[in-house]
Amino acid sequence: MQKTGALVVDDQAAVLDDGREPPRHWPLLLVGAAVVPGTLLFLLGRWGDAPAVQAWRTVCLAVTVQALPFLLLGTALSGAINAFVPEGVFNRILPRRPVLAVPVAGVAGAVLPGCECASVPVAGSLIGRGVPPAAAFAFLLSAPAINPVVLTATAIAFPGNPAMVLARLLASLATALVMGWLWLRFGRAEWLKPVVRHTGHRPGRSRLDEFRRGFQHDFLHAGGFLVLGAIAAATFNVAVPRSVLDTFAAAPWLSVLFLAGLAVLLAVCSEADAFLAASLTGFPPVARLAFMVVGPMVDLKLIALQAGTFGRAFAVRFSAATVVVAVACSALTGWGLL
Amino acid sequence: MKRSLQAGLLVLCGLGLLHVSLFTDLCLRYVKEGMRLPLIASGVVLLVLGIASVVLDRAEEADEHHHHGHSGVPRVTWLLLLPALSLLVYAPPALGAYTAARQPAKAVVHDSDFDPLPRTSPLPMTLSDFTSRVRQDRGQAIKGRTIRMTGFVTPGDGGSWELTRIILNCCAADAQSVKVRIHGGPALPANTWVTVTGTWHPGGTLGTGSAQVGLDARTVTKVPRPANGYQDALPLG
Repeated sequence: MQKTGALVVDDQAAVLDDGREPPRHWPLLLVGAAVVPGTLLFLLGRWGDAPAVQAWRTVCLAVTVQALPFLLLGTALSGAINAFVPEGVFNRILPRRPVLAVPVAGVAGAVLPGCECASVPVAGSLIGRGVPPAAAFAFLLSAPAINPVVLTATAIAFPGNPAMVLARLLASLATALVMGWLWLRFGRAEWLKPVVRHTGHRPGRSRLDEFRRGFQHDFLHAGGFLVLGAIAAATFNVAVPRSVLDTFAAAPWLSVLFLAGLAVLLAVCSEADAFLAASLTGFPPVARLAFMVVGPMVDLKLIALQAGTFGRAFAVRFSAATVVVAVACSALTGWGLL
Repeated sequence: MKRSLQAGLLVLCGLGLLHVSLFTDLCLRYVKEGMRLPLIASGVVLLVLGIASVVLDRAEEADEHHHHGHSGVPRVTWLLLLPALSLLVYAPPALGAYTAARQPAKAVVHDSDFDPLPRTSPLPMTLSDFTSRVRQDRGQAIKGRTIRMTGFVTPGDGGSWELTRIILNCCAADAQSVKVRIHGGPALPANTWVTVTGTWHPGGTLGTGSAQVGLDARTVTKVPRPANGYQDALPLG
C-alpha cells in the first residue's frame, strides 16, 4: 500500500513539473488578459495618431503600394520563365568557354526579367544544372538591374531623362561582367556551399499549375522583403529631415558613397528603387545612379538570401567586391553620360 | 506557412488594393492618379491567385511536407499582412503639415517667358505659379493684383502660417512642398484646407530672387480637400 501511495505522489509531482496544472496565480492572469490588450490598443491608438507616426505609415504604405504592381509583373514573368522555359535551354545557349559565357549570361539578364529576390534562387539552380558559376553570377547581378520592367520603371521615375536609363543599363551590365570575370580569375569553389538541386517542373503537374505556384511563391517571398524595405525607407524618410539629407549632397564623391551605402541599407526592390532615387533630389545624378546600380546587386536582404543559397563565406566576399565594382562602374558611366 | 494561409494573405492583399483603388479614392493619398489602373489590375490578379490557390490546393495540403519545391516562404512574408490590413481598415491620411514643416520649400523654376495674366479678379493661381511670378517675373505682372490660391495650413513660428501644397513626383515617399507665407488672416489649425485671396506682401524687390514669397490675406475661407490634392493645380470645380 505504501508503495502505491508513493507512486501516486510521484505522479502528482510529475504532473506539476509538466506544468499541466493551472498556475496558482491564474486570477492575476485572467485580470491581465482582460486589461492588457485593451490598454495596449488604447496606447497604440494614441501613439498611432501622432503626426510623425501618421506620416511614417503614409510613406511606408506609399512605397509598398507604388511598388506592388511592378513586383507582381516581375514575379509573374519570372514564374513564367521557371515554368515554361525548358531546363536545358540556358546551357545550350551559353558558349562553352566560361570567359565568353560570362558576357552572354550577363546580357541574357536583360531578356529574363525577375526581381533580385527571385534571381538568387534562379542563379542557384543554374549552377545546379551545370552552368559555370561565373556566368550564373553575372546573370544574378544583371537580371534584376537591366531587365525591361526595371528599365521601364526607371524611365517612368525619371521622365524626360533617357540618359539615366541608358547609364543604369551600362553601369549595371559592366558591373555584372566585371564581377563574372573576377570570379573566373579569383573565385574558389570551396567558398560555395554545394547548391541544392532545384525541383523544377515536376511530372504529373501542368505547366500552368507550376507557373501559378512559382508566381505565388515568388510574390509572397519578395513581398515580405518589399514591406521590410518600405519600413526601412519610411523610417529613414520621416526620421531624417530632407534638409539634413541635402547637406550630404554637396560633395560629389561623398554623395556617391553615401547613396551607395544607403542603397545597401534601405534594401528597396529593384523594381521600385528608381522611384526612391528620383525622390532624392538635391543629390547629383551620379550619386543617384550609384544608388540604382548598387541597390539591386547588394543590399541587406540580398546578402541574407545569398548566404542562405550559396553560404556565408561566399556572400560576404561577393557582396563586398560587388559594392566596390558597382561604385566604380557607376562613377565612370555617370561622369561620361550624365 | 500553410498554403491556406498563403492563399488568405493573397486574398487580403488583393482586397486591400481593390478597396483603395476601385471602391474608394484612398490610393490618391499615396500615389498619383495614373497608378490607379495598375493597382486595380494588381488587386484582381492577387484575388484570382488567392482564390485559385484555395480551390486547387485543397487536396494537396496533406502531402505538402514531402516537397519543399514552391511551398516554403520565409517568415518575413507575414509582413505583407501589415499593408493589407492597413489598406483595408486603417488607411493613414495624406501627407500634410507635419511633412511640409520639416522640408525646405521646393525650388520653383519657370524656364520660359511669362505670359500676360488674365484680367479676372481675383485671379486664381497655383502656389508654384505665384512663387515663380514673385521671384522671376521681371515684368512684375502680379503687382497690385488680387490673387486667389488654395492649399492647406502649415503653422509656422510666432503665430504665422504658410499656405502649402505637397507635390508628388511618384509616390508619397518623394513628396515636396511649395509654401507661401500668409500675413494677416485668422490662425487656423494645421492641415485645414483654405482658399486665400489677397495681394503680394511687399518684401525685397519683386521679380528678383530677393522678393519674399508672401501674401497679405484679405479673405480666408475653409474649403474641402480637393481631389487633386497632391498636385499644385487649380482646385477642380
